[in-house]
Amino acid sequence: MRKTLLGLLGAAALLFGLATPALAYEPVNIVHTEKVQAGPYDLTVGFSTWPVKAMQSLDFTFAPEDGIADKTGKLTMFYGQKEFDDSPLARHPRKREVWGLDIHAMPAQGTWTFRFDIDGPAGPATGELKNLQVMEQPGPPMGLSWAISTIPLFGLIAFIVIAWRRTRPASR
Amino acid sequence: MEITAVAPSTRTVPRGLVPASAVLGGTLLSLVGLTWDIQWHSDVGPDTFFTLPHLFLYAGSAVSGLASLLVVLMTTADAKRARAVDPIVGGRAVGVFGRTFAAPVGYLISGTGAALFLVYGLWDQWWHGLYGFDAVIDSPPHIGLLLSISITMVGAVMIFAVARDQRWGVYGAVAAAAALLVFSMVTSLGLRAVPAAFASPVSIGTAFFSVMILFMAAHALDRRGGALAVGVSVAVLQAVFWWFSPWAAKVYADATGLPLRDYTDGIPGLPNMIPMCLVGVAVAVELLHRLPVWIPGAAGGAVIAALVPVQRVLVHGGSFPVNARYLTTIVLAAAFGALAAMLGRRFGHMLRHLAPAKENSHA
Repeated sequence: MRKTLLGLLGAAALLFGLATPALAYEPVNIVHTEKVQAGPYDLTVGFSTWPVKAMQSLDFTFAPEDGIADKTGKLTMFYGQKEFDDSPLARHPRKREVWGLDIHAMPAQGTWTFRFDIDGPAGPATGELKNLQVMEQPGPPMGLSWAISTIPLFGLIAFIVIAWRRTRPASR
Repeated sequence: MEITAVAPSTRTVPRGLVPASAVLGGTLLSLVGLTWDIQWHSDVGPDTFFTLPHLFLYAGSAVSGLASLLVVLMTTADAKRARAVDPIVGGRAVGVFGRTFAAPVGYLISGTGAALFLVYGLWDQWWHGLYGFDAVIDSPPHIGLLLSISITMVGAVMIFAVARDQRWGVYGAVAAAAALLVFSMVTSLGLRAVPAAFASPVSIGTAFFSVMILFMAAHALDRRGGALAVGVSVAVLQAVFWWFSPWAAKVYADATGLPLRDYTDGIPGLPNMIPMCLVGVAVAVELLHRLPVWIPGAAGGAVIAALVPVQRVLVHGGSFPVNARYLTTIVLAAAFGALAAMLGRRFGHMLRHLAPAKENSHA
């Protein structure tokens, strides 16, 4: 009994010991920045991967030069000319001193615009990050990825068809 | 001496109940993990491979899978020794890989789902390596994982349906069907990938799976009330998860020293995907049982799809436009609801065939 317990404890220790790096939350590593002027506010937009590719998630940071403490704001995304989404500027969950989007993926390839509406001590102002080029998605075409991912569904349907045929005589 | 007069307790656990409970318990672990994980991403955010909600998801498939594997191995051993295999444990045994294994069909399905979960876990890891740790529920590998768990849940329904002439079989089948229905609301999100600007594929999918599983339950059991029992069980799960999901996300965030996101509304993610009108639809399924199934099916599908945006407005506020897309969605949901009802009834009959009861001895 004691041996079993020791063995189990050893296995658990080994598992969690090896898993420790995977338990740590990734820091936000900014590898590229762009400047946006929103009236009196200097905003630095940071990207954790560059260039940005469609569907590939990354961390975005939005940092006013003198901090976010006394400011609020709204981010509106445009895909081409079309408004795609808007949301209040919220602190990045893993970098709380700036606003940001965590592990966010741009859904489509093309030209995007980020519009920042910022309100702070110097009053409300608007600035835009224009011509953000989002490159083609990495990896296999989506059709192939979906085909691979829905094999369980088609397997289940095949099983149902077989079961259906075998139970037919009793159907009313 | 009274003591000697009392017979020693001969009550034993009914045959098949233990492994069936393990499979069902595994699927419920998966369900808890899923609702917790969805809430974690919306309310808190930071993610690793080993978050507690993820561990629930992995543990769910592991428990169901190991229980299924054990039953298959024991059945195989019995078959090799030419011992009689009791079909109350997961249904009739079928040969797998020729006659290498003898697997009760219910456990074969639940175990296959768990094995697929492992395979799709690898596919998901590869995907995250390429696309980053995208916290989207409806990426192709995530849908593959959800489908794998759904297959385990289908297996759980089959395992309990086999024992439908016993009380534990009825209760278990209702619980397993309710878990499958709730889970399917999330899997339906994969339908966002269907390019259909004229209607909402997710609302139609929600209506389809709800109606299908209610009708399946109505026709799988020996008694009336199967659909209502599933509808009520789903409502109970919805109520419990409504409280549990934001609470668990907050407690886990506090425990790991992480703050909640700014502007978090705390609205439960998964529970709010479940149609609140489901009990009403289930009552209609029971009351209208004399009509051809496609009629209550179409009505149920239409009602569910019609109320999806109403529920959203009730919970989130705002408004929704009654436009051509909304109306098209309702019409298509009615059509798919009719189909779902017919399929559900047939699946119910197929589940009855699994049972080793008198009426099915020829099947």
